[in-house]
Amino acid sequence: MNNLIYPKLALTNIKKNSKNYVPYILTCIGTVIMYYIMYSMSINQGLDQMSGGNDLKMILNLGNYVIALFSVIFLFYTNSFLIKQRKKEFGLFNILGMEKRHLSKIVMYETLYVALVSLILGLLGGILLNKLMFLMLLKILNFEVPMGFFISIKAIIATLILFGIIFILTLLNTMRQIHLAKPIELLKGGQTGEREPKTKWVYVGIGLLCLGGGYYIAITTKEPLAALSYFFLAVILVIIGTYCLFTAISIAFLKFLRKNKGYYYKTKHFISVSGMIYRMKQNAVGLANICVLSTMVLVIVSTTISLYIGMEDVLRNRYPRDIIVNTGTFLEEDGDQIRKIIDDTLEKHQLTGKNRIDLEVISFVAKQKGNVFSTGQMTDSSLTGFTGLYFIPLEDYNRNTGKEEILEENEILLFTQDRTLKGNEIIILDETFTVKDRLKNFIDGFDKVDVVNNQYIVVKNMSVVDEIRIKVGDVYGEEMANPTTYIGFDLDASDEEIIAVHNEMRDIIKKDYPDCFFDAAAVSKESFYSVYGGLFFLGIFLGILFMMATILIIYYKQISEGYEDKERFAIMKKVGLSHDEVKKIIHSQVLTVFFLPLITAVIHIAFAFQVITKLLTIFNLTNVMLFALCTCGTILVFACFYGIIYTMTAKEYYMIVK
Amino acid sequence: MAILEVNNLKKVYTTRFGGNHVQALSNVSFSVEEGEYVAIMGESGSGKTTLLNILAALDKPTGGEVTLNGDNLSGIKEKNISAFRRNNLGFVFQDFNLLDTFSLQDNIFLPLVLSGKSYDEMSFKLKPIAKKLGIHDILSKFPYEVSGGQKQRAAVARALITEPSLILADEPTGALDSHATDQLLQLFNDINNDGQTILMVTHSTKAASHAKRVLFIKDGEVFHQLYRGTMTKEELYQKISDTLTLIATGGVRNE
Repeated sequence: MNNLIYPKLALTNIKKNSKNYVPYILTCIGTVIMYYIMYSMSINQGLDQMSGGNDLKMILNLGNYVIALFSVIFLFYTNSFLIKQRKKEFGLFNILGMEKRHLSKIVMYETLYVALVSLILGLLGGILLNKLMFLMLLKILNFEVPMGFFISIKAIIATLILFGIIFILTLLNTMRQIHLAKPIELLKGGQTGEREPKTKWVYVGIGLLCLGGGYYIAITTKEPLAALSYFFLAVILVIIGTYCLFTAISIAFLKFLRKNKGYYYKTKHFISVSGMIYRMKQNAVGLANICVLSTMVLVIVSTTISLYIGMEDVLRNRYPRDIIVNTGTFLEEDGDQIRKIIDDTLEKHQLTGKNRIDLEVISFVAKQKGNVFSTGQMTDSSLTGFTGLYFIPLEDYNRNTGKEEILEENEILLFTQDRTLKGNEIIILDETFTVKDRLKNFIDGFDKVDVVNNQYIVVKNMSVVDEIRIKVGDVYGEEMANPTTYIGFDLDASDEEIIAVHNEMRDIIKKDYPDCFFDAAAVSKESFYSVYGGLFFLGIFLGILFMMATILIIYYKQISEGYEDKERFAIMKKVGLSHDEVKKIIHSQVLTVFFLPLITAVIHIAFAFQVITKLLTIFNLTNVMLFALCTCGTILVFACFYGIIYTMTAKEYYMIVK
Repeated sequence: MAILEVNNLKKVYTTRFGGNHVQALSNVSFSVEEGEYVAIMGESGSGKTTLLNILAALDKPTGGEVTLNGDNLSGIKEKNISAFRRNNLGFVFQDFNLLDTFSLQDNIFLPLVLSGKSYDEMSFKLKPIAKKLGIHDILSKFPYEVSGGQKQRAAVARALITEPSLILADEPTGALDSHATDQLLQLFNDINNDGQTILMVTHSTKAASHAKRVLFIKDGEVFHQLYRGTMTKEELYQKISDTLTLIATGGVRNE
């Protein structure tokens, strides 16, 4: 037998199935491009030169793993979809006298073609786009590195290996399917499983519990650290819930509708409800996939965008003043000495500190139980119930705010961030204090939102602070209870100048006071940009990848459904359904199937919103409004893309059904 | 009174680029009286299906006209045609054309639901029909759960429930075994005896022998027709058989 027949047959097969194969090959190319770019970027030596480059590389590396894992799952999934569509064809070949090993041979050639085309075009595209992406990354990072065109051999090899394995896996899966099946089954491949789905009450129960539980966690979690530990639990619960929602709850709901005779036997509902029951059976998992993917896209993109846009906010939050000096000592003379050095340096540069904060404070972490605070160790297993206590003498408070408050012995002014501390008395380490007043805000720049709740307490004078210091020192050790002088100020100067001032001060002060701690936003800006910019880049990148997946899944759904519905609508037309009615019904059904996952995703996001804002505070982003806007914007853009895909696939669908 | 009148019906198919003309029907005329049971016979390619499609208003004739209850089919507006079909015609197909997403009952209800009837009215109408067709105890089943004969009876019920003036049957016995075929043909005779007008297209001599009148179509024209008169089924069967032989061997018209 002519050996050329297999490669030829394989080629015609791909051509004949171009409706299914072209999107598949495009996806392969797309994933190859993305993997190559991500990989070559993560090993790019240009990034080593920048500050924060290591963090950035870590982020890109993470992206690498995500893309690799995703490619495996996704290409495997689409491939099995393709096989399902082509089972009839395989059956026909089988009946025409081809043995299974011949079929395997054809499939092997097909995979080879797809692999070759995807890898060659993908790598070419990757190499071309790589430079562009790199420039985009640098632009995002506010960083300029002159870079020539370059090809990363290492990345090419990594891509070849990964996708080689993926293609071999898909091939093995196809062969397994062919070998397991009987010819008659292959012939019927497309049309099995038309039974009415059963309502699986167990899954309905599990789904409702999981969704409820996930949502409950999401809306009741108040503390950022707790959010960090519970968020993933909530995510997993909601994912399980989503799958149950689409597979079982939807069918239970539709069957409930069908039982309602008055509702069901209406022209509009009659056909869509019964159609949807079947559609949900076949598409539940696919729709759940789309929903989970969409949710991921929305969360990733909106959070990374708001982190990036909110970077100035973040920096200001993390560094409330341009330069911050934190002394580790408490001798008055030391404090004065340091102040003098600061003032001298500023004078030398002809600068004056603005918005100056200058105060003495002791702080420690305490266990909170209602209004009683006691010492206790913070452990990993119980992140909640702890709170940061900051004690500031009245004198410093008045000086920094310009107020003239007066306090008696054992009276305090209280500023709490979450406003949960109620009542007029609080007990701190067995000492009772009376709350004279609750402050609406605290010294600006000192009241930053933190991962734990902080209580800011203004006490009468230094001697009260000392008492507390001694008590704390007994438990935590002297060092932990050391009071510090906190000096911060803004400068009207360029970043370079600020860095120069900062370095000069640091060098002088550190000589005598090695415990002194310096912070300047200008110094950390670059590394912030590389981390947050890197996350932003990764977010967009993964967003595109996930969106590509969503598009493809939807496209395939529409095509396969189109073929199945064709017959159904032909019958309805014969029985007396007009063309317009058919069109209307198709429209509403497709619309429902299409937008159900998106709507569910938006609901998920709505519930997750609060817990995500808490998580963002860990990244120093406290601008809820910004995050809300970014989320809305992302949803809108995503919905637009979704709408475009919808119109495109709906057209394709009409063509088939017609 | 004639329910259906077909005058000088002509249908020419033109290939997509207008090159070839295929004459499916050249000149067909006949009429069907109320309460009649007419079988139309012809070989594959004789134009049976084209004729049926035109009668069902699924296709438009190139020339001539079809009137049903005095309404000219080609005069009905496009948007009303589905409602017209739903209200005046009942269909029985060779491959049943039941929707597998519906139970048998819902399949039967389909045309009524489309006309916006209430559930109570529909189930009131269904009861006597289901009883007569012997499907009352399988109504809640789905098409894939029942036999071919049962499916076809459900399809007949769907055709009857709208109380149409005319039932159009396209090879209704084509996919049935002999037992189910006998049952179905008996059923057709029963509903015809109740006054239902039936027009059946078939190439089964046995099916045709149950009708009151048999039309033969050849090359797009009515070639011959037979009336049962006082003949038994067996006699009519013999007559049809002879006629078919004559057509097949190319005999000349003997009328």
